[in-house]
Amino acid sequence: MTSLDTPMTEVVVTHAAEHTHDEAANSKLGFIVFLLSESVIFLSFFGGYILYKTTTPNWLPEGVTGLAVKEPLINTIVLVSSSFVIYFAERFLHRENLWGFRAFWLLTMAMGSYFLLGQAKEWSELSFGFTSGVFGGTFYLLTGFHGLHVLTGILLQTIMLLRSFIPGNYERGIFGVEATSLFWHFVDVIWIILFLLIYVWQ
Amino acid sequence: MTNIPVEAIAVKTPQPLPGAPDNWKRFFSFSTDHKVIGIQYLVTSFIFFLIGGFFAMIIRGELITPEADLVDRTIYNAMFTMHGTVMLFLWMFPSLVGLANYLVPLMIGARDMAFPRLNAAAFWMVPVVGILLMASFFVPGGPSQSGWWAYPPVSLQNPTGNLVNGQFLWLLAVAVSGVSSIMGAVNFVTTIVMMRAPGMTYFRMPAYVWTVLSAQIIQLYGLPALTAGAVMLLMDLTFGTSFFDPAKGGSPVLFQHFFWFYSHPAVYVIILPIFGVFSEIFPVFARKPLFGYKVVAISSIVITILSGTVWVHHMFASGTPGWMRMIFMFSTMAIAVPTGVKVFAWVATLWGGKLRLTTPMLFALGALLMFVFSGITGIMLASVPIDIHVNNTYFVVGHFHYVIFGAATMGMYAAIYHWFPKMTGRMYNEGLGQLHFWLTLIGANLNFFPMHPLGLMGMPRRVASYDPEFAFWNVLASIGAFLLGMSTLPFILNIVGSWVQGKKAPDNPWRAIGLEWLVSSPPPVENFEEIPVVVAEPYGYGKNEPLVENGKVIAATEI
Amino acid sequence: MKLRTIFTLLVVAIALGLVSFWVGQQSYSWLPPQASAESKLVDNLFSFLVTLGTFIFLGVTVAVLYTVLVHRVGRYDMSDGPPIEGNVTLEVVWTVIPVLLVVWIAVYSYQTYDRMAVHGPMELVHLHNPMGMEPAYAANLEGGEVVEPIEVHSRQWAWEFRYPEQNVTSAELHLPVDRRVRLALQSEDVIHGFYIPAFRLKQDIIPGKTIDFEFTPIREGIYRLRDSQYSGTYFAAMQTDVVVQSPAEYQQWLAQAASQPPQSSANRADYEYKLAAKKRINAGWKSVPPAPAPVVNYPAQDGRA
Ligand code: HEA
Ligand code: HEA
Ligand code: CUA
Ligand SMILES: [Cu+2]
Repeated sequence: MTSLDTPMTEVVVTHAAEHTHDEAANSKLGFIVFLLSESVIFLSFFGGYILYKTTTPNWLPEGVTGLAVKEPLINTIVLVSSSFVIYFAERFLHRENLWGFRAFWLLTMAMGSYFLLGQAKEWSELSFGFTSGVFGGTFYLLTGFHGLHVLTGILLQTIMLLRSFIPGNYERGIFGVEATSLFWHFVDVIWIILFLLIYVWQ
Repeated sequence: MTNIPVEAIAVKTPQPLPGAPDNWKRFFSFSTDHKVIGIQYLVTSFIFFLIGGFFAMIIRGELITPEADLVDRTIYNAMFTMHGTVMLFLWMFPSLVGLANYLVPLMIGARDMAFPRLNAAAFWMVPVVGILLMASFFVPGGPSQSGWWAYPPVSLQNPTGNLVNGQFLWLLAVAVSGVSSIMGAVNFVTTIVMMRAPGMTYFRMPAYVWTVLSAQIIQLYGLPALTAGAVMLLMDLTFGTSFFDPAKGGSPVLFQHFFWFYSHPAVYVIILPIFGVFSEIFPVFARKPLFGYKVVAISSIVITILSGTVWVHHMFASGTPGWMRMIFMFSTMAIAVPTGVKVFAWVATLWGGKLRLTTPMLFALGALLMFVFSGITGIMLASVPIDIHVNNTYFVVGHFHYVIFGAATMGMYAAIYHWFPKMTGRMYNEGLGQLHFWLTLIGANLNFFPMHPLGLMGMPRRVASYDPEFAFWNVLASIGAFLLGMSTLPFILNIVGSWVQGKKAPDNPWRAIGLEWLVSSPPPVENFEEIPVVVAEPYGYGKNEPLVENGKVIAATEI
Repeated sequence: MKLRTIFTLLVVAIALGLVSFWVGQQSYSWLPPQASAESKLVDNLFSFLVTLGTFIFLGVTVAVLYTVLVHRVGRYDMSDGPPIEGNVTLEVVWTVIPVLLVVWIAVYSYQTYDRMAVHGPMELVHLHNPMGMEPAYAANLEGGEVVEPIEVHSRQWAWEFRYPEQNVTSAELHLPVDRRVRLALQSEDVIHGFYIPAFRLKQDIIPGKTIDFEFTPIREGIYRLRDSQYSGTYFAAMQTDVVVQSPAEYQQWLAQAASQPPQSSANRADYEYKLAAKKRINAGWKSVPPAPAPVVNYPAQDGRA
């Protein structure tokens, strides 16, 4: 009780060696729990969309006949394929083939960016806006919120790619890569539901 | 604890003790120690409790006469909005997270939470929420005046036309609070699943840990819905979309669904950990094992599941078709069953025990009885024909203050007194504690009981003025409220005084069984020199068995 | 021993039952007068719930207080209680009993709700809800003419009632006694709540749709109609009177009102807002301006507005 003001770092250092619990496993579980929770936001938006769609008398704003499906469909195919590409990237990393990892990882990023650009192009060509009734509102809300997630995914991927150039970085564990990849699959699944709701169900 | 390694002894003495008063500076730092964070949460939230209580004093001051004479109507409306918001988002949630932060790692035999830095980050968002809400008093138009539900279209009416208005800041604050809570929930779930000490199986966890787990799962599935609603409301308010604006084809009732899908389960986020506190305190001061421990533990999870299926009971009088009213009436009433199981288990725990009426025990007993009362009025509200009459009247206000003040806040007091010696290494003053209890019990009943007759007579809530026939009960309620305000004084005096110069507390002043009582008071930085190996179920009172390997029995005769 | 415990328990239960029954009977007096047919059903249900609730509350309280008083230990008694960890029979019993009670309460509530609706058309409250339940109007059961529904217009912060057949507007709601009454609830701005405590009836008025509402007043007199859904600054002042009259008086009132030219009715919100605008220092924050005082054939008489 006499030396209460000893810096606490000293203690932490002494104890650090005996930490037994598995940090990576913690992070993994934590991340999955977070994604499950995050999916409820999307579910809420979807629920709202379905309700509006089934109850609004004048669903489409004046002058709008519907959404074009062709470009979004191509976009969808690209995004969904990228889920497979990122899986191979991860496999390469497991086999400690760094260049294979980088190549496939970069390809994933390119496909994600293609998707985003396609989305941006679609937005710019639409004749209705965010404030065009509940249709416009929900359309931009859903695609925008999802797009934000794609963007986040690409940013995470950039970080992981850069990190691969730090020597020995992934020898200490590849949680970051695994989490990014999981996130990317999540964003994909959400998009499939979204695509069905907005473009297919018209 | 016979063969402690030599190094461990070496580090034992210099360890700073979180909670010791001469160590106060760390409470203002970005500490990642769960015990420091726990106390940071508790102290911060209590300050907001006083602020929220101060608003309540203005509300009761206004309501002591029928006319709207003390403050302007807009101020009254801002007062109850901010009172409700502050009490829930800045008192109840953070204080419970603080308590759980402090206790869960200790109770399950971990050195810290799974993600210590995330933990600290989550805490520091709480002051941000507070600053945003308080700042809204200084923007044109004043703070939000749409009640804590922020129902559109009222919440979309922005009389000043300003972009930065009270409602805007309110939504921002709620969003930040939501992010903080999600971070906390991820942390708790991971900690409880992954970090339990060897031998600490799920059915050896204290019931409190079960309730924290159940409550945090609710946060995870509920909060995102509120966030979704809040984002859409923000868009309507700021960018002119029309999700909830009926004038432009939107649906205000959809917002109500989003709001209550979270805010109903949120009440169980509040009450579940309080149930856990009851389950810890009753066995200690009745010196008997928790009756039906496993059933009590499981019933928390049952409540978690059921609580996601009842939200429409807040909308019985809203745009809700008859079949929906009936379905949600049944599901709501079902909650009485798992809750009843707990109540009866506590009574059976007390029954035939060796009762010792310390301050924490008194508060727990008072809170239990007030809870049963409020649960019964809750069942009345769940009955649609009754709710149609009393919905949005003071009967509802009475119901929820009995739970949220009578059970939850008084339960929180019980917890603070019970673990105060552990947290600070000092004993509180028993006399002041008892005074605090009696003032609180009398004040609370005088304050909140009259709300029931008022509601039955038809007095609406959220009114700054009312018809003269309601005056009598309102005067009583206001007197009770002022008494309740006074009751905080002995508490503050007690806590501050004892923390600074109270009697030194032993490691286990209550002769309680639990891992947190095996370490020093306050516990050292990483809690356990050696992670304990648990060999028994909790609550082994009267069984003369050790809780941990090599541990000693908390013997009946030991003082 | 065993027999004695059972006997004691029985005596306590009977005593509690008697007290609960008495409290349940008292509960009628806690409510406003029964001015609608529906209110009788609601009050019976409420009395039942109070009886049951009192019994449960007293049961738990008596048990707790008893053990607190009897099983206290002395300061220096450090012994533990008996290590009883549970009792399966007991636990099953106290799970099953609440299940049965809950089913009882729910079924009774359901029947009451159903019967409130049986008094007239299919549903007490009929919403043009998205789920598309078609209105199924039965003819007026109580005899008498099938009247067009009285329109209830709510706005921040005034009530206005329109009797379409006579084209009469009023700031008070006049109703004939013992007739099934039909209302069409509408809001022009935010959500309001139509609430008459003496009728035990309430319905939120969602802007953008018309909500049909029906009930039967059964007692002549003047009652209060209150806004029950918070609607902004002057919410508390949004009240008016409901006057239930004999059918003859009611017809007379309609005829008299029809002959009056429309005039501005006193309106609390409008009055206070203008008063505040005149003051040099504003004691509060900016409010949404109230709609102008309603211009009606029959202004409010209550003097409270
Ligand atoms: C911690 C907070 C908390 C808790 C635990 C509860 C618990 C319950 N609440 Fe409450 N409630 C609130 C906080 C809480 N509530 C708040 C804040 C509001 C208003 C919000 C607002 O409008 O601003 C509200 C409003 C509210 C409403 C809406 C009223 C309205 O607006 O018109 C309803 C309606 O069903 C309701 C019901 C219930 C029920 C059935 C329970 C049940 O969980 C109670 C279960 C417990 C028991 C029943 C007692 C113990 C059981 C036994 C002893 C067994 C035997 C009993 C029987 C067989 C009956 N509550
Ligand atoms: C945890 C939640 C909680 C708690 C603890 C309380 C505590 C209290 N509440 Fe609470 N209340 C709510 C949650 C809570 N309330 C909610 C959610 C609403 C609904 C809001 C809405 O409709 O939108 C509500 C609404 C509400 C109303 C209805 C207002 C209306 O509808 O018009 C009233 C009226 O009496 C009231 C009174 C009180 C009182 C007297 C206390 C007392 O217990 C408070 C006791 C006071 C103290 C303990 C503090 C004493 C402090 C001082 C004397 C000064 C110190 C000052 C400073 C340091 C600044 N509350
Ligand atoms: Cu007027 Cu609500
Ligand atoms: Cu609820």
